[in-house]
This record gives sequence, C-alpha cells and structure tokens, in this order.
Amino acid sequence: MVPNEPVIAVRDAGVRFHRGKRHRSMREFLIRGERGTRPGEFWALDGVSFDVRAGESIGVVGRNGQGKSTLLKLIAGVMLPDRGTVDVDAGVAPLIEITGGFVNDLTVRDNIALTAGLHGMSKADIAERFDEIVDFAELPDFLDTPYKHLSSGMKVRVAFAVVSRLEEPIILVDEVLAVGDKAFKRKCYARIDELLAAGRTLFLVSHSERDLRRFCTRGLYLRGGRLVEDGPMDAVLATYEQDNGGVK
Amino acid sequence: MSVTAVRPPAAAGRAGTGKDLGSLRRRRPVRRPAALWSRRRAITLLVARDLKVRYASSALGYLWSVLEPLLLAGIYWFIFTQVFTRTVGAEPYIVFLLAGLLPWTWFNGAVIDAARALHAEAKLVRSTNVPREVWVVRVVLSKGVEFVLSLPVLFLFAFIYGASVDWQLVLLVPAMLLMATLVFGVGLLLAPLVVLVRDLERVVRIALRLGFYASPVIFAVQDVPEPWDAAFSFNPLAGIFELCRAGFFPGVVDWGHVGLSAVVSVGLLVVGWCVFARLERTVLKEI
Repeated sequence: MVPNEPVIAVRDAGVRFHRGKRHRSMREFLIRGERGTRPGEFWALDGVSFDVRAGESIGVVGRNGQGKSTLLKLIAGVMLPDRGTVDVDAGVAPLIEITGGFVNDLTVRDNIALTAGLHGMSKADIAERFDEIVDFAELPDFLDTPYKHLSSGMKVRVAFAVVSRLEEPIILVDEVLAVGDKAFKRKCYARIDELLAAGRTLFLVSHSERDLRRFCTRGLYLRGGRLVEDGPMDAVLATYEQDNGGVK
Repeated sequence: MSVTAVRPPAAAGRAGTGKDLGSLRRRRPVRRPAALWSRRRAITLLVARDLKVRYASSALGYLWSVLEPLLLAGIYWFIFTQVFTRTVGAEPYIVFLLAGLLPWTWFNGAVIDAARALHAEAKLVRSTNVPREVWVVRVVLSKGVEFVLSLPVLFLFAFIYGASVDWQLVLLVPAMLLMATLVFGVGLLLAPLVVLVRDLERVVRIALRLGFYASPVIFAVQDVPEPWDAAFSFNPLAGIFELCRAGFFPGVVDWGHVGLSAVVSVGLLVVGWCVFARLERTVLKEI
C-alpha cells in the first residue's frame, strides 16, 4: 500500500431506496420492469464524496435514517451504489449486522469457522486464532451448543470476537458497542484501542458522544443522505448538537 | 508499514477483489468469473457445510438423498413393465430409468434451491462481502456432489440386472459438466428474480413438475413420435441424459442433442449471469 494514497475513495455516491413495497406481484414486474423512476423513491445517500487514508479513525454522526448504516454497507461491499463509485483498496472487517452471518442451527464452533472463512480467513489462521476468539467471547463451555441457544448478549460476544480478529486493515463498527454488559464493553473498547494502535482504519457509527470522542479524530455528519460536514470530530459534534438542539 | 506486513496472504489477495466489488459500475461482466474464482474457498466452505448437514446430522442421511429417485424408479418400473406393456426406453428398464432419474434429481433439487439461494440466505448475503454468485454456485455443487454419491446405486442396479457396461461410461464426466453449466445458468437467472418477485418460486416448482414429463426421463427422445420429437431435442436435458445412459446403452447418444444441450446451457449461463449482474444492486437493497 502506498502511504498517503486513500484506502477508501467515495465519489458522488448515491443509493436510491423505495418507500413501501416493491415488485410484489409478477404483473407489476412484467409491466414496469426493473428500472425507471417511480413515485415514492428517495435517496438514502446522495452525492457523498470523501477520501480516507490508512490509519484514520472516523466517526459518523447523524440522526436515525440519515444514511449512516447505508454508508457503512457501501464500504463493506454488501450494498452497491446506484450512482457514483466507492473504491475500497483494502480488506474490510465489518462489525455491522454483526450476528447476521451466524447460522442458528450450527454450533458455536462451526459458526466461528464458517464466518471467519467467509470473511476470508485461511484455515491455518482460524486454527491459530480459535482459542483467542473463544477466550475473548468467554464461551469455552458453549462451543458445541447450537448458536440459537445462546442469549442475545452471548451471540454478540461471539460475533464481535470473530470479526474483530480478522486481520483486515479497515474496521467498520456500527452500534455494536451499545449491546453487551459493562465488562464486555470494556473489553471491546480495549480491542478497538489495540486495533487503532496497530494502524488500522476505523469507521465508527455511534450515538454515544463519549465513544466518538474517545476513538475518532475525524467526523462525518450525514443529514438527509447528504454529507453536511467533514472535519475534526469535535467540530462535527458541535455542529450536530447545534442542529438538533442538544438531542443526542 | 507494519500493517501491511502482518496481513496474511489471504487478506492481501482480497485487496484486489475488494476494489473490484466496490467499483462495480466500471466492472465488466468478464471480471465476475475471476472474482468468483478468487473466493473459491468460501464456496468449498459452504459446500462442505451443506454436505455435513446432509450426511452427518441424520443417520439416514445417505438414504434420504437416494430414496426419492429410487422410489420414483420403482414406481415407473412398475407402471411401465407390469401395468402397461413398455414400448419406450431400453432394457433393462430400471437402469434406463435410474440413469435419467438421478441426474433429474440433481437438476430438480438444484434449480429449486438455487432459485431461493439469495432469499434463503438473506442474512448471510447482507453481512458478507463475497461475490453474490457464490450462493448459487454453492447449491449447484452441493447437489452435484450428492449426484456423484448416488451413482453407486446406479452401478448396483446395472450389476444386478446384468446391463452391459463399456468405456462410454466416461461420458458421465461431460454430462456432469454440462449439467453444472445448465443449472448454474438457470440458478443465476432465477435467484435474483425470486427475491424481487416472490411468487416466482411457486412458478418454478410447477414448471419443474411439467418439465419432468417434457424431459426424456422415463422415455428416450427417439420414442417421441414426429413432429413432437423436434421439440424434445431442444431440451438441454436430452443430451445430458443420453450421455448419462451411454455407458449402459450403446448407441443411445445423439450428438446433435449433445451439441444443442451445450449451446443452450452456455447460452443460459451467459444470459443468467448478465441478468444476475444487472439485478444485483436492486436485490441487495430488497433482501
């Protein structure tokens, strides 16, 4: 990787969504087809452009439904822009919809292997880090328990343990820190600190001002799908607070 | 710097594909197979998981995968040799039936599962950045492995009924390649459409049920009277089934059918892949 080359380049990115149902019936599909603008469409993300360099830690703020998660999904590559481009030049460890990749009927052990493998971890790496992951999740006694029998807190713990162990240069964190008990939260914080110290690039979506100030140096403020401010975290938080009359 | 150094080769390899996936707008369709190949480990992982669920989690796992074609073969054998006087197919009829029913089971199962591949794994599709084709390929291959594992049943019946076996048995290999191509194409076409149009899943099931009789499973294309035989020879499954039967029934292969089958399968794959690429963006939002 060339230093100072952006690892993430977002150019005029837009994602269009449809209010209400879409393509419910065969008839509608055959008549209207896939394209065409229909009433009720809106841009969840609209003309967003920015660059991110390796090692930056970025906090994304905005009220609910203003495009924060959509932006992270674009960077994670699990959603594609309808307009513009999103270039990501390095692997991404997405801590978003974190428990989504886990299969209810498989045991915790199988789930760890499957998720880590799907995210591109090699067999040898999985074997090597397996104990570390189990240790972090604090679930050594539940390895052969089907995932569905875990409590929701435990599920998040396993998921966080796996995804945060991926050796990817970019980490996306979406609200996962809101779940879990205090002790585990502290561990997550420590892990994120560790990753940042190792020079990883962080994207954090959060409503917690404390978390944002703690981890991020640069802020992005999304309102109505548009990027209204891109600057130092403190300045962005100030604007955000002003906009929302102190609502956090 | 140190970050680059600690990255394992797997992650380094993905850096390139990560870019491809992000800038899909500029990515030509020809790049897709390459992206898919680069993540083949994800595919083996998923296929292994499917087979594990299929064979390890139930004691009768293997039996289940061959039970349906066996029962069907038994029923058709009874109807066409005991009830009616058989005028179609070839002797021994049970081998003729199985050599058509086993690949039909692959086709049928893979098309049903591939059609709902994206819909059924919505959570995984939404949270993992692998080329979305992976979810379809995985179904095609899982069912393909099940087909291979069911072949001993065919050989067993060929042995019991004293069917002649010759070198043309190797034609099973091109048959499997053709079948994989065909099912992959159909799957790529249907998977995104089923997400967008839910009732299509029912249509697929009905079409398959009719397709069974529109395919030369319980009879051969040669048994179909004119002018209908022309329609049957355009069925891509005709050539595939003939290749599957070639080892037991010499002279059953009509290379015209095989050629048509290859053209239709490859054509469907190209069309399916184009449709898949075009609908991918919409599907990811709807899923």
